[in-house]
Amino acid sequence: MSLTLAMVVGIAMGIVFGFALEKSRVFEPGIIVGQMQMRNFIMLKVFLTAVATGAVVLAVLNGFGYVKLQPKAALYAADIVGGLILGVGITLAGACPGTTLAQIGAGYRDALFTLLGGLFGAVTFSYAQPALGKSFLGQGGGKLIFTDLIGIPYWIGALVLAAVIIVVLVAMEAWKPWRDELGNDVDGDSKSARPSSPAKIRAVAAE
Amino acid sequence: MLTQKAWSPYLAGIVIGLLQIPAFLIIETALGASSSYVTIGGLIASWIDPSVLQIDYVARHVAATGKNWWQVALVVGVAIGAFLSMKLSGASRAPISRIWQRALGSASPAKRYALAFSGGFIMLLGARIADGCTSGHGLSGMAQLAVGSTVAVAAMFAGGIAAAMLLLRRI
Repeated sequence: MSLTLAMVVGIAMGIVFGFALEKSRVFEPGIIVGQMQMRNFIMLKVFLTAVATGAVVLAVLNGFGYVKLQPKAALYAADIVGGLILGVGITLAGACPGTTLAQIGAGYRDALFTLLGGLFGAVTFSYAQPALGKSFLGQGGGKLIFTDLIGIPYWIGALVLAAVIIVVLVAMEAWKPWRDELGNDVDGDSKSARPSSPAKIRAVAAE
Repeated sequence: MLTQKAWSPYLAGIVIGLLQIPAFLIIETALGASSSYVTIGGLIASWIDPSVLQIDYVARHVAATGKNWWQVALVVGVAIGAFLSMKLSGASRAPISRIWQRALGSASPAKRYALAFSGGFIMLLGARIADGCTSGHGLSGMAQLAVGSTVAVAAMFAGGIAAAMLLLRRI
C-alpha cells in the first residue's frame, strides 16, 4: 500500500479515535488520575469495552480466516519493568501516549510538555536500545497467546474473554453508574465548582 | 449526538474497538500509539545527530513504511478528532485541568509543566521498554489474548496506582 493512502487511512481512523476519546472523557487528567487513585472507573469502562469489542471483531475476522493475529512477543522482564515505568509516567502525565494528543486537541497546554517529554523519552530509549536489547530486557519467548497455551482456537477464547468482560462491566455499572462519574464539568472532577462563564475559566487559569 | 458533551463509556469503547477492523484489514497491524514517538523523535534527532539513523531500531521506525507513518497520521488524527468533538459540544478547557492544583498541592503552571514533561519522558521510556502502551499492549494485545501484553497491562496499572497513591495527593 502506498504511504499516502496509509496516512489518509491513519488520519481518518485517528479522527474517529480522538472523537471517541473526547466524548468518553477518558482523556481527562481527572479521569486518568482518578482511575489510578481508584475513585473513578470511566477509564476501565472504556478500556474494557474496547478490548471486548476488539476481541469479538478479531474472533470473527481471524475465525473466518480474513486476518492474521499480530500479537507482540512475550518478553516478560521488559513487559514488567517497562509496564511499571509506563504506569508511573501515565499517572504523572495524567495521560497515555495516545490520549496526550487528545488533550492537545482539546486545549490542555500542559499536554504539549507531555508530548515533548515523550519524544525525548523515545529518543533516549532509542540510544539505549542496542545495549538494552542485549540485556535481560531483551530475553523472552515468542508471540504467545493464551488459547495456544490451552490448545483451543483463538476465536473461542476471544468470545469467552468478551463475555467475561461484559459481566464485569454490568456489575461495575450497577456499582458506579458512569453518569455519576463524569464530574461537574465532564472532566472527572466532582470537587471543583462548575465554571459559570468563560471569564471565570480564564480567571482560574491566571491564578 | 455529535454535539453531546459526553457519551456513555460503553458506546465510546465500542467505537474504539471497531477501529481494529480497518487496522487489521487495511494496514495489517493492530491499533497502537507509542511507536509514533520513535518515528517522530528519531526523525527530529537525526537532524541534529545523523548517526542516530545507524541504530537499527531507529532506522526501522523512521523508514517510509505504511505502518510507521500510518501510526503517526493516527495520533495526529486523534488531536484533530478531539478538537472537533470539543468544538461541536461547545465545551472549553482551562489550560491546565483543575485537578492538578489538588493533586500537586500547588497552582503553579511551571510546576505542572515540569511534571508533565517528566511524566511524558517516563511514560515513553517505559512504553518503549515494554514495546507497547495502553493502546498496543492494552487495547490490541489483550483483545488478541497475548500473554506478554496481559503481563504488561497488569504492570502498567500496578505502577500507575502506586504512583497515584504515593506521589500525588488525593484529587
